[in-house]
Order: sequence, then structure tokens, then C-alpha cells
Amino acid sequence: MKNKDDLPESNRRDFLKNASLAALMALAGEMKLRADQAVQTATNAGAALTKIPPPPPVNFGVIGLNDWGREILKSLAVMPSAPVVALCDHYGAALRRAAKEAPGAKTYEDYKALLGDPNVQAVVIATPTGTHREIALAALAAGKHVYCEAPLADTIDDAKAIARAAREAVKLVFQAGLQQRSHPEVDFLLPFIRSGALGRNVMARAQWHKRDSWSRTAPTPEREEELNRRLHKATSIGLLGEEGIHQIDIVSCFLHKRPKAVTGFSSLILWTDDGRDVPDTVQAVFEYPAGVNFLYDMTLCNSFEQAYEVYLGSDAALMMRDFKAWMFKEVSAALLGWEPYARHDVFYKETGIGLVANASKQNTLLGTAVSFQPYEHTPLYYALEAFLINAGQQAGAVKDFFQMYPDGDLKDLVENLKTLKTKPAANWQDGLEATVMAIKANEAAVTKQKITFEKEWFEL
Amino acid sequence: MKLLVIRTPNQLRLSTALAILAALVFSLGPVARAGAQTLYKSSSQPHASSVRVNGTSTAHDWEMEGVFIGGTLDFGAGVKLDQAQADPAGLQDNKAPAKAHVIIPVRSIHAKVDHLPEVMDGLMQKAMKADKFATIEFTLTSLTFKGPHTAGKPFNFETAGELSIAGVTNKVSFPVTIDCLEEGKIKVSGSAPLKMTAYGIEPPAPNFGLGLMKCGDDVKINFDWTLKERK
Repeated sequence: MKNKDDLPESNRRDFLKNASLAALMALAGEMKLRADQAVQTATNAGAALTKIPPPPPVNFGVIGLNDWGREILKSLAVMPSAPVVALCDHYGAALRRAAKEAPGAKTYEDYKALLGDPNVQAVVIATPTGTHREIALAALAAGKHVYCEAPLADTIDDAKAIARAAREAVKLVFQAGLQQRSHPEVDFLLPFIRSGALGRNVMARAQWHKRDSWSRTAPTPEREEELNRRLHKATSIGLLGEEGIHQIDIVSCFLHKRPKAVTGFSSLILWTDDGRDVPDTVQAVFEYPAGVNFLYDMTLCNSFEQAYEVYLGSDAALMMRDFKAWMFKEVSAALLGWEPYARHDVFYKETGIGLVANASKQNTLLGTAVSFQPYEHTPLYYALEAFLINAGQQAGAVKDFFQMYPDGDLKDLVENLKTLKTKPAANWQDGLEATVMAIKANEAAVTKQKITFEKEWFEL
Repeated sequence: MKLLVIRTPNQLRLSTALAILAALVFSLGPVARAGAQTLYKSSSQPHASSVRVNGTSTAHDWEMEGVFIGGTLDFGAGVKLDQAQADPAGLQDNKAPAKAHVIIPVRSIHAKVDHLPEVMDGLMQKAMKADKFATIEFTLTSLTFKGPHTAGKPFNFETAGELSIAGVTNKVSFPVTIDCLEEGKIKVSGSAPLKMTAYGIEPPAPNFGLGLMKCGDDVKINFDWTLKERK
């Protein structure tokens, strides 16, 4: 979710406080343990640190250098083993500006030239959605690992073409930019939710609220039009497609089902004076099997409560926001045993039981309960880190395979690659499923209709 | 398996045996043609092979495991392993004119621990200088049959060869068993003790903040290497 890292002010303060506390702890020789971290022990000077070693380096090329492309560069810049060796944008000013973030990287105005650079091992595609197909297919054909931003495409045909090419490129890693899939909090919550801790699924609800025009200014009318493609139906799959895909994906992932149908509503209420025709407010109802519905609303007109997801089960509800989660239990539901020891937070008239990785009864009794520290990195960082690790690991395994078995069977290679312990990440199938759901949700909202999902939309 | 019906008495003269063999070759066709194919290649199927490294430390014993062994084994012209027979055919002074090269990628070997195996993998890879020397390699220099062999059981051999780890090559010798499986597959199993320091590897002594833990110098490599007859 592109804006999840926009923490509210209070969180930002907490973050700074915790960050400086962490630095102090490190200096004082304390050990800090977290689900998403290495065992890092800073002891007296000269002592060796025991930590997860940096992954094998992978040379990155980044294609598409608008705001999001520069966010990608910032994440890669602080990541060990992820040198950015090439940059590409057809707009010279964007290219020059981004080049400052990645000193030493070669710059290209044509993505084909970047793909021809043998030094580039992996590419991140952050260009407008409609251009993904051409670039992703060329990148895979050029033997590059591909991280393609979500949505994969703005048509089902294009999304399928990308998915098909990714499936066939068995030696390469393809990751769809559905960042939450790689977030440690999601990794922690997923087995919890799927284990049935909430009882029977009843319904899910999510919102994405922001007071933001989505409009951009630029030095020339042509550039402005290009930057504002999201505002026009002809070049945009709207709020649900461009932004909502992330929450639609994560809810489907938690419910572990594919929706049967989606009904949508939409209106253009506030941002009416710049010639746009994309709605600024949408609602969608996804129907899942067994009578479970997912209610989702998005607006650019009001920021109340911002973004979160709620899952209602027969025993408890679970709320996730800013990558923190709380459980709200029904009085009649059986205790799992650990709840009294967990962190509790009051929300108006409800008490939420904090779901925190690494929390323990001992922590609680000793008064050292694990607090809700913001995760150290942004969701984008974790997703790119997973891509880096998986791509480096896969490249090594492919090389090893052909060294061991020079005329080895590709089917055996595929089976062997399944033995790798990969970091959680959205693959081509996840990318295709989410893209289809988002495209059709937008279509349902714009036409104010119910659309029944057809099986063949999701299959290659 | 058709050879099973022919029992060659010890006192049978060599020329008679050869005559029978020649008759078999021509009458039974390629199935029973001894020594026709002696080259075997690693099976690239997942989990066909396994390699386990067992070690000790001041805290607890540890184990690492890989599921890949690559390379080839050529028993040499005329050598034929048939477990139904008392001895392998085609040996000279119990030696096979065999050639073999074994490759094990260092990064395919992983710690068998539940918590943060990446840390131990990283320590091992660093200690083994895996960035420079990505594979463990073994080149066979001699393969000697160790009898007696019980019909139907795997054959015992003594191997000698050169083992290269972390850029250091040492002469080593260890026993192996060779088991003839179905469909032209064989499994070579064995166990080789070695010292890390003999390969310039400093036994890792990670500091986990709870006191120093030091790995023992002695480790044992156990392996099961499955190969397929080259068609």
C-alpha cells in the first residue's frame, strides 16, 4: 500500500523515540530480538557480530522514476546487497533527479537499452500500469528477474500475458508489487487467522480514506497529462484498481478464497473542477463463498480513520491498521489461554488484544511486554528485500543445478527450486488474481453493476 | 537378472567361463551384456541424494543437510556390478579403473534448526569462504572392492581421492557402499570424517551474547548419492 508508510504524527514521534532507544540499547550492549530481525548482538569493541549475513548481491535496474520509482530507489539505497546499476525514464528531468539517488548508476531513456545492459540482473518496473506488459515481457525475455508494480496491468489480457511469461521463465523470479504479502506482520498473522482463531468467517470490511486530489502539476501540459493519467477513465482503473488492489488482495489472502462476484458504486463528489472523470469515492461489495461478504469503501474526499481492514468471525474480530493488529473477542468465546497476558488497548467502547510477534507471558509478568513498535522498515522495503533475497537465492540455485547436472531436466530444476526457503512474496499468480479482482471491481463501481467473476479470467 | 540361472562353479576354467559369457552376450542380447555401460550420472530429481554434516560444539551437537549431489561416476571399461553375484565383474586386483567427480554446492547445505537457520548457514558459508569457493568437490583416484560380498546386498568399496573444500585440497580415503537400485540406478553411501582446520576453516565461535559457543574441529560428512545409468 503506497501510503501505509505515511504514519500519523503520533506514530512518527513514537518511531523516533523507539529508534533512538534502539540505538542506545545497542550502545549499551543490550540484545534486541524481533520477528523480522537478525539476532544482533553488539558487544564490546572488536567482538564479532552474529547476524543474518547479507544476501548475495543482485544488481538492480529501476524503470520508471516518478515519485514511486524514487521511493523504490530510497529503499534499495539502504538495503545491503542491492546496488542500483541502471536507471530508466523517458522523461529526462525525472531521470536526472533520480540519478542523484543512485550515484554511479547508468542512465537510459529507453528501457530496451537498460535491458540490454548485461550488468543488470533484476529490474523493478514502476512505470504507468498500461506499459507493464511490454516492459515485463521484454525483461523476462532478456533474462532479468522482475519486480512488477501492482496492478500488473489495466486489462485482463495484459495481466495474463505477463503471468504466462513469468510462469514460463522458470529460472527467473517474478514478484508482483503487492507489498503486504512480504510484510512480517502479515506473515505473523496469516497462520493465526487461517487457523480459525476468529471462529467462522462472518464478513470483512476495509476502508481507504484520504483527503487528496490525486492531481499532479508539471512544467509542461504534456507532462502534466502523463502524470495525471489516473484521473481519466481511458487511462486509469480508478481508486479500486490503482490503489485498492492492495487491500482487496490482502483480504482475499486472509479469507483464503476467491470472490464469486463484486457489486460497485461510485461518485465524483469533490474534485470536479479539473476535468477528471474518474470517481473520487467508491464502494464495493465482494461476495465470497459461504455467504461471507467483504465491504470496501475508498474516498479521496475525507481522511476519517484512514485505512484499515477488519475481519469479523463468530468468536472474535480482528483489526489491522498500519501493520498492527488487535483482536476483539466475543464474551461467549472460549479463551485461548494467552489473552490475559497480552497487551490491551482501548478503542472507544471496545478493548483490543494486541497481536504482537514475540509477545510472551514471561514478558508480561516481568513488565517487559513487547510494545507496538512500528516496524523498522516500510512495507516497500520488506517487499523489495524479499525480491532481492529470492532472486539471489534462485540465481545461485539455477547456477548450482547446471553445474551439478549439466544436461539436467528443466522439470527437475523446477522441482529443485521448490526446495528453496523463499521469503514470502506475491508471485505471478497472486499478481494475476489481485489484478483481475481490482479491474473488475473498478468496472463494477464505474458501471454501478454486479459482476460475476468468471473462472477463466484467473486462469492461463 | 537372467544371469541368475547360470551358476559358475569355482573350478570352471576361465576359457569355459568366457565361452559361456560370449554365448550369453549373443543369445540374451543387451540386457545381460556385462560391462556395456559403466558411466553413471547424478540424478537431478529433488531429494534423490542427501548430504549431512554432523558436528559438535561447546553448547550442543549440530547438523546441516543438503539434498543435492552432482557429478559423474564411471566404473571403467568392463566393470559390472550385479548384486546377485559374489563379486563385481571386471576388476583387476579388486580395483576398478573408475573415475568420479563429485560436486556439492556449499549454499545448498542448510542448518537443521528451527530458529533462524540463516544465521548458522551464514556462519558456515563465511567460514567456508563460499563466495570464493562455492562448491565442495571430490575427485576419485582409486576404488577398491572390499569383499566378501553377500549376494543381494550392497557392495563395499574403499575409496581414495582428493577432497577440495574452501580452496584447500587434501588426499582422503573412506569406505562406501554401492547399492544397485531399480531402473539402472545406483546409490553410493558413505561417511567421511574430517577436521575443519585441515581445510583452513576456523571452527565458528559465534557470540550470541549468552557466552561464547565454539564449534568442535571434527565433523563427519554422511552422504547418499543416487546416480542413473547414462543412456
